[in-house]
Amino acid sequence: MPEYKGMVQPTRASVAEMRKIHIEPVSDEIKPDKAIEFLDQIRKKFRSFVIAMESCTKCGLCAENCHTYLGTGDPNNIPTNRAELIRKIYKRYFTLEGRWFGKLVGAEDISLDVIEQWYSYFYQCSQCRRCAHVCPFGIDTCEVTFIGRQLLHWLGISPKLHATTGAAMEKVGNHTALPKPGIVDTLEFMAEEVLDEFGVEVEFPVDKPGSDIMYIPSSADFLLNPYTLMGAGMFFTYIGANWTIPSTVTEAGNFGFLFDQYWTQRGNVMRLLNVAQELGIKKIVWGECGHGWRAAKMYIPTLADRPVRWPLTHIHDEIANLILKNELKLDPSKNSKPVTLHDPCNYVRACGLNDNMRVIMNACVTDFREMCPHGADNFCCGGGAAILFDDPEMYRRRILLSKKKAEQVRATGVGKDGEGILCAPCSICKAQLYPMVEEHELGVEVKGLIDLVGKALVWK
Amino acid sequence: MKLLIGQILPYITVTLFTLGILYRLGRWAGARIVHNITLSPWLQTNSQVAIRVSSEAFLFRNLFRFDRALWAGALLMHFALLNVLGGHIVGFGFLGEQFALIPGLGITPELSREISGLLGSIFGIVLWIALLYLLYRRFTKEAVKMVTEPSDNLWLIYLLVLVGIGNIMRFVPGYHIEYELVRDYISALILFHPVVDMDLLNSVFFLAHLLLVQILLIVFPFSKLMHVFGMFAERYIVNRVYNDPAPGLPNVDVASARKAGLGVPDGDAAEEEV
Repeated sequence: MPEYKGMVQPTRASVAEMRKIHIEPVSDEIKPDKAIEFLDQIRKKFRSFVIAMESCTKCGLCAENCHTYLGTGDPNNIPTNRAELIRKIYKRYFTLEGRWFGKLVGAEDISLDVIEQWYSYFYQCSQCRRCAHVCPFGIDTCEVTFIGRQLLHWLGISPKLHATTGAAMEKVGNHTALPKPGIVDTLEFMAEEVLDEFGVEVEFPVDKPGSDIMYIPSSADFLLNPYTLMGAGMFFTYIGANWTIPSTVTEAGNFGFLFDQYWTQRGNVMRLLNVAQELGIKKIVWGECGHGWRAAKMYIPTLADRPVRWPLTHIHDEIANLILKNELKLDPSKNSKPVTLHDPCNYVRACGLNDNMRVIMNACVTDFREMCPHGADNFCCGGGAAILFDDPEMYRRRILLSKKKAEQVRATGVGKDGEGILCAPCSICKAQLYPMVEEHELGVEVKGLIDLVGKALVWK
Repeated sequence: MKLLIGQILPYITVTLFTLGILYRLGRWAGARIVHNITLSPWLQTNSQVAIRVSSEAFLFRNLFRFDRALWAGALLMHFALLNVLGGHIVGFGFLGEQFALIPGLGITPELSREISGLLGSIFGIVLWIALLYLLYRRFTKEAVKMVTEPSDNLWLIYLLVLVGIGNIMRFVPGYHIEYELVRDYISALILFHPVVDMDLLNSVFFLAHLLLVQILLIVFPFSKLMHVFGMFAERYIVNRVYNDPAPGLPNVDVASARKAGLGVPDGDAAEEEV
């Protein structure tokens, strides 16, 4: 069902697909009542949600700071209005002003139509937190859409993309349903590629017991972004690390974070901790994945059901650290094409990776041009929160959602001669931008940041 | 009417206002901060957090960075409002002679009353105009129009009327009210003395002003005006101290790895040796 009463919606998971991730869809007759019941439960738990419901003054500052609204012009894509889709219900059932003044303060009765609105608009939100970043109070609409998606999930409404990905994670430990033999084969193939292209001998150890470092790549790096994984392999070889990739968690991402922050997200956290213990590693290093890094760095401490014994770090932090200590020999002239950096939202507004990405960039390329705005002020690529839906209506919407990003890239002029590089060190950004740079004819190639590091390393 | 608005309602207002705010704050405190959702770039010390939160709360930092017009309007409105509220307290409390109490300035009580009056007039006008701008903005700016509920406009209109009446009492000589009268009225209320016979309550404007203020205070805890507290509650969640763990990989010695020529194919390494 790509559209409902004029609203675009991603294709839904079937009942069977929902059951695979342990959800029994709620029938339409009792859906509204159940929605209120779930909302009542969850509102008592999350203060960030309560404050977002009760403290907004509707100043409207968020509107023109949201790429979704800028791209679509749809009033419901203004962050505060998107939150209002749930706030109007919240007011009606859980506040005195809503019960007494109703329409005057924008309160509304729950109905199936409202639930369908949630499904449409909460899955157009990239959860990029730019609204939280600009809000004079710091109200985080991302918290509202997290909870909106959670309610929908409990009601049995999740996009096919998210639900099947969640099921794949539970089955094999990555989003792309790649089993261990496939992982090993791909890595062997990659090692050959590295030798052919860079003249470097690299080994990608899988499940190696007694490793010091456990590297968690994004599963998309096996298929879509091979140079990112190859770059990581070259980096670990270069520094002589005793490292391994665990076959049971070949996934830096965690889609649970994006639609089910209870079982799906926690299940994958526990899976990670299990394999860390089995392999006897000392440190976990995370690959390029925006939401996944936020889910790991900021959420594992509160999601893990037992003490976390391993320090977690991002490969960018480690590379930047070695660059600052002057231990890596990098030749920027190997990356001489003009490069601009798309700051993944989760890196810069939720994980503090801003400076380190620039340390790496400046050491690895000759012609680095900043976008405007950049860093914590940056706009999302339009694919954030994995709204990478491919059905035609949603795909057209993705083009609109990436409009602001396209303007930014164009303004840097890196693609003027058709051979610029758009560095987007996040798997979701990459997946969104690969087709979008074509749609907007930006004349750039999308690459990760480790790709550039791998290329710039000087071996002899 | 005088009995109701001037004598009985104030006690009800104070009770509902206090309990209402406690209820709302308790409701917020009841929900937890579940995950760490601090916004980066990180604030690394408590003083950085204090500076960030106060620059947001008192200087409206984000509005300044992202919307100058709104920043000007909102800051003027809130700053004037703060002064008007403070002016009510010191004006009635010290009969306008508060500035004479500041040691070392040599301000006479007469001068202090002049200053007090002047400041009151300025902030009264600024407040009203800033409110008018905020209302104008709600009707003219496309994106703002789209987020506005009827109650958002009503609040602004309500405040315009409330402040307008205050300004009338200040600027129209016929309706002017002396500080002393109000001071006596408030102290009588505090001491639970009867106030119904006071001359002050015969002023229709005063009675209207008093009624509007009381309705506002009663509704305050149940409305969006709670953003005064909500802002601090939200900042407490998203602006906290965070320090990245120290980087550094276990058992990694880059220098010796490079010396050993790791990754460099044997043939090449041999060449290098030769």
